[in-house]
Amino acid sequence: MKTSKCNLSIACLIALVAIVFAVPGQLFGQTAAAESSAGDRTPATRWSVQVDQVESGNVDLAYSFQIAIYENLIVELNKTKQFQQVFRDGDVTVSEAPNVLVLKTTAEKYTPGSETRRAVTTVSGATKLTVRSQLLTREGKVVLERTVNGDVRFFGSNLRATHNLARNIAKTITQSSWSSSGQPTTTVTGQL
Amino acid sequence: MDLFIVSRSHSAAYQPDRRHALWLSTVLICFSLTAPAQQISQRGDTRAPFSTRATHLLGFANARDNGTGTLSVQGDSLQFQQNGRPGTEVKIASVRDVFLGGESKQVGGLPMTLGKTVAPFGGGRVVSVFAHKKYDTLTLQYVDADQGIHGAIFQLAKGQGELVKSELIARGVTVSSHQDQSTKESATEATHENK
Repeated sequence: MKTSKCNLSIACLIALVAIVFAVPGQLFGQTAAAESSAGDRTPATRWSVQVDQVESGNVDLAYSFQIAIYENLIVELNKTKQFQQVFRDGDVTVSEAPNVLVLKTTAEKYTPGSETRRAVTTVSGATKLTVRSQLLTREGKVVLERTVNGDVRFFGSNLRATHNLARNIAKTITQSSWSSSGQPTTTVTGQL
Repeated sequence: MDLFIVSRSHSAAYQPDRRHALWLSTVLICFSLTAPAQQISQRGDTRAPFSTRATHLLGFANARDNGTGTLSVQGDSLQFQQNGRPGTEVKIASVRDVFLGGESKQVGGLPMTLGKTVAPFGGGRVVSVFAHKKYDTLTLQYVDADQGIHGAIFQLAKGQGELVKSELIARGVTVSSHQDQSTKESATEATHENK
């Protein structure tokens, strides 16, 4: 009787150990499967992007703002990890890259604000920027076209509007339907 | 007769000296002619280095954004040395354009902002009226080894931007026809503030 009890407890212990080792393995397998299915969703062809310099259009946009938008765009697009490579305007190595899109940004509206007014009144003195962003193929076909805003309303310098704008453009590209399809076949237009 | 002899002996004694004097004056004239040329070439090769305090806002080589340091023009390069960090530099030959602008910024940073927020009876707003300072912004456009365009923005004390720009132009940087927006922006800011 005593022996059978002992055997039973040993059997229980073995079963418990087996469960402890088997379950995480099964979970790991599930995670790996989930990861691989998520991996399947990523675009088959990874695109690179060349960021063109910002055009002021008909807007009297300060050159420092144009440069700040351009530099911030490069930083923000790199952060998204959406593109294989982010090229600068004029880069000669871009011709060797296989799948390249071109990001064109044109200023549409600019309201110069004042940091002093923002600090004193809180409600006025906002710096506002509106641009039209176009993602084109090398052949000039528009893949994505959006009007994006960026502003600074309360705290921060006027140039902070350019950072917010670049972040919004990068977010727009990431969330667009083109981004999930990975193929430059549909033209998406709209406003953020 | 005596006089004639004396005069002849005199002229004979002074002839070598005269020749020496003539030779010496010729050499001196030659030196004086070449001296200015030498002076110009020396100025072209070794201009005195120029440096000023600046805040790097964004884009310059590997410098940290919003870092304060020394912006200097030395030899053939434009350098930015942040306090306690290794300096970064860009060759002046790679600078394609320079623009000046103007900004009015709050002084005191985050502590001042927090102080103004907690000040009673709207005292912070009154402080805001006076706690601002005008700065120059210097925007540079330069290219890397692959000809990719970079932009960098520095914030300098009022008046210093013009000096850096002049120094760069003197070292061969060409400036495009874009109008500097220093005066225009200041005027806009002033109009906003007077409203």
